[in-house]
Amino acid sequence: MKNDIQSIKSEAVAQILEAKNISELEDIRISYLGKSGKIASFTKNIKNLPPEEKKQVGVIINETKNTLLKLIAERKNALSTSTREWFDPTVPGRKPPVGHLHIVTQAIKQISEIFENIGFVRVRYPEVEWDWFAFEALNMPQDHPARDDWETFIVDQKPNDKLGRVVLTPHTSSGEVREMFRVKTPPIRMINISKCYRRQSDVSHVPMFHQFEGLVIDKNISIANLKGTLDYFVKNFFGEDRKIRLRPYNFCFTEPSFEVDISCAVCGGRGCKLCKEGWLELGGAGMTHPNVLKNGGLDPKKYTGFAFGWGVERAFMMKNDINIPDIRILYSTDLNYLKQF
Amino acid sequence: MDIKILDSWLRDYLNTKATAKQIARYLTLCGPSVEKTQKVGEDAVYSIEVTTNRVDCASEMGIAREAAAILPIYDIAAKYTPNKSVGNYKYSDKVGYLIASIDFSLCQRFSAVLVKNVKVGQSPKIIRDRLQKTGYRSINNVVDISNYLMHEMGQPVHTFDYDKIKDHKMILRKSKRGEKITTLDGSSFTLKGNDIVIEDGTGKLIDLCGIMGGESSAITKDTTNVLVFIQRYNPINIRKTSMSLAQRTEASFLFEKGIDPELVGPSMQRAIKIFKKITGGSVSDTILDIYPNPKRKKSVTVEYSMINSLLGKQIDKKSVLKILEGLNFKTSIKDNLLLVTPPSYRSDDINIPQDVVEEIARIYGYSNLDSRLMAGDLPDKLPNSPFEFELILKQYFKGVGGYEIYSNSLVSNQEVISNALSLTNPLGEDQKYLRTSLMPSLLSAAKANTSYKDKFLLFEMANIYIPIRDNLPNEKVFLAGIFVDFDYRNAKGIIEAFLNSLHLDYEFVAQDFADYSPNKHLLIKAKDQDIGHFGYVNKNMIYWEFETTLLQKYHRDYLAYKTPAKYPAQIEDLSLILPRRTKIGEVIKTIYSSSGKIADVQLNAIYKDVYTLRIHYQDSKKTLTDSEVEQIRKRLLARIKSKYSVVLKP
Repeated sequence: MKNDIQSIKSEAVAQILEAKNISELEDIRISYLGKSGKIASFTKNIKNLPPEEKKQVGVIINETKNTLLKLIAERKNALSTSTREWFDPTVPGRKPPVGHLHIVTQAIKQISEIFENIGFVRVRYPEVEWDWFAFEALNMPQDHPARDDWETFIVDQKPNDKLGRVVLTPHTSSGEVREMFRVKTPPIRMINISKCYRRQSDVSHVPMFHQFEGLVIDKNISIANLKGTLDYFVKNFFGEDRKIRLRPYNFCFTEPSFEVDISCAVCGGRGCKLCKEGWLELGGAGMTHPNVLKNGGLDPKKYTGFAFGWGVERAFMMKNDINIPDIRILYSTDLNYLKQF
Repeated sequence: MDIKILDSWLRDYLNTKATAKQIARYLTLCGPSVEKTQKVGEDAVYSIEVTTNRVDCASEMGIAREAAAILPIYDIAAKYTPNKSVGNYKYSDKVGYLIASIDFSLCQRFSAVLVKNVKVGQSPKIIRDRLQKTGYRSINNVVDISNYLMHEMGQPVHTFDYDKIKDHKMILRKSKRGEKITTLDGSSFTLKGNDIVIEDGTGKLIDLCGIMGGESSAITKDTTNVLVFIQRYNPINIRKTSMSLAQRTEASFLFEKGIDPELVGPSMQRAIKIFKKITGGSVSDTILDIYPNPKRKKSVTVEYSMINSLLGKQIDKKSVLKILEGLNFKTSIKDNLLLVTPPSYRSDDINIPQDVVEEIARIYGYSNLDSRLMAGDLPDKLPNSPFEFELILKQYFKGVGGYEIYSNSLVSNQEVISNALSLTNPLGEDQKYLRTSLMPSLLSAAKANTSYKDKFLLFEMANIYIPIRDNLPNEKVFLAGIFVDFDYRNAKGIIEAFLNSLHLDYEFVAQDFADYSPNKHLLIKAKDQDIGHFGYVNKNMIYWEFETTLLQKYHRDYLAYKTPAKYPAQIEDLSLILPRRTKIGEVIKTIYSSSGKIADVQLNAIYKDVYTLRIHYQDSKKTLTDSEVEQIRKRLLARIKSKYSVVLKP
């Protein structure tokens, strides 16, 4: 019986390989593997075998069945894809490792590129700074709240007679007078991006964050130039459909001073839960105070300028589709977060 | 500071047909920002942000004054209607009912008046209603009047139970450290010194000035005689007290912004009128008013041309004058010069011509000014600008699958070297020091992610802060990273390829280093200078770091052109048996040095002690023959055999 099975198998294999089309193949399947096919007849006869052969033959029949089924399937695939070379494009790809730049890096890149396009020069100034550059030179009086211990971090170091205490700079404005010292003769178009530190931590504040500071000084710089620059930035960073408005505000180092708002992307300026009557606060700006120019060694009769200093994280979170509810999430080092951006 | 203004109350001081919506809109554009307008029945409540320089706006009266200056610019008629003065009262710096001794550095104007036989009770409905809508709780008529006046005019008003002031005597002075006072809300404070306080005839403190009155002299339902008390305090002392005691009352907010001393007079007038009407009390004929140095008027001269050049737009003189007069500024023009005298409530804020320009610009409307980019020359670029280079470095590590993190520069004592800079006022001990290495931050970030199943690479670019005596620290930008669960050769290959991509001539030197596992650290050098480190810091983490300025210094954007080799290399694999504890890096170095014709040596496979190297033999002038290759091979094998007892696998 073993030999019979073997010869039936060889016969079937030959027929399968020679089958010319799918219906022929189906006929072959029925004649060998069908209910009353040739293989089934062997199965029926197993019961007549001596017990020691029963098991052995059963295994052979099963093997034969499986071999034929596989061959039929392969032949079927071969016939249906005609004469083309077989290829399976559905196999999943093997990915190279893909890393992530932090979204603060991405935001800084975008911001600096936009300003560099209109002639700004990117710089970086100390994070650990003299009180003089951080406050005094910016026309901030000794009793200004920002100079309080509860707003600005103070470094435990002997103050300098002329430059005062050492602080962690609470804003990139500290770079304004340093830039005036560096350039000496305007034009100045500075974009200073750096880490800043303030003693605060909540949904919209972290003790360490980033700011970008713009400073433009030249002859005949006007509020119109400030508006032109901010318009250019907002359209390029946030999108053509976003608008800005200036509101009167008060800062020591600018006069006039403005608060800059951007139209809310969620409600399109009609007013919603996220914004104030259709507007979101972007940050401060203003025309450089003559005392600041003087402190930077420039003649305020000859030169005028403007400045603005905004939070990188804050600006980025105001893009219309980011939806980060808490600024502290930005500084998570959890891979599940880092991988998202 | 944020205040709530009630529309109907505002209109006591403002005669206009403007709607609440218009008022909100134009105030925001030209004056204090209205953040929200809420309907309350027929009335409306504005939530308004008043900037610190404009405490004169922090009241119904102040907002009315602003609105009256702004609305006409938008062709809406509006007129400010101030209070009229009342009765014939005498003002004197001495009165019979109160003996006062004052430190004028703390209190520039001190005024008080005695109101006798008041009936303490409920306030009339209109007062209760207005207070409730603007966020106050009605207590009794005397207390309510104080709040009502403060809200209406922006001048805090305090009331004492006159009969509880011992000897009817007040000494206004600086507090001494350790003095104690219980305020009328029942809280007790131990003072730090330099707070403004008043003691009575017995030396007991009865007022924590500008913050809250003392409990001992507070108004109760049994009070019959009230001392109405209106002062101008030194803003700096008030702020210090209110911050150090964490008592941020509305009065302290107003006082610390520096209220106009000229406001004391009209507020007293208004107080008298309301007290008489509501409490039925009788007011003394003489008002105590101690004001030794009245505020002087001051003027600012502005060049007319400066207005136009700063605004970037021509605005005619008539419009300029109209704007300033609307703000109650006195003006006169002489040729190109404009002489401007602000009202007393603005004189602290208007000091230089730019301040005047700001007034003109904001009322004219920032939205009505042009928007255009600067003409003029461009500045020179920054020499050796690091920013583009730094981004290239970061992008390399992103490309090989690294995740960039930003971690806090402020770390704990355990994470820094011994002389690291520290803060006097940290938010906590874990954020007290300026970091001197990125290693601890990256290690803790890596450890926080150990539940992550696959291997990973974290990296960061940030400053470290190396202290310098009596100077600012040296802020060095470092690029550092940590490989977690990486195969050593893969990790090292990423660093090697990184340095190759910078065309940087570097060398690894195996030597132990602090914080790295023994025998598992490489110093990375360029031209004999240490530029970085690489090595295991524990059994599955490899840390590395570079100082980016040194990478920038030693890197090359590109190398000089080299003619590609004309003659092909002969390539063969040699399987070598290394005795235990032989460093393969040194063997490879020796192979290179054995002949100038060995162009490349790669480690192809390691199986137990058998290292298979693929050797490229090449000559730039000809194709090497088999026998020439054999000679080179013999020499290299001899060299490594004598030096390391390394032999070819049979």
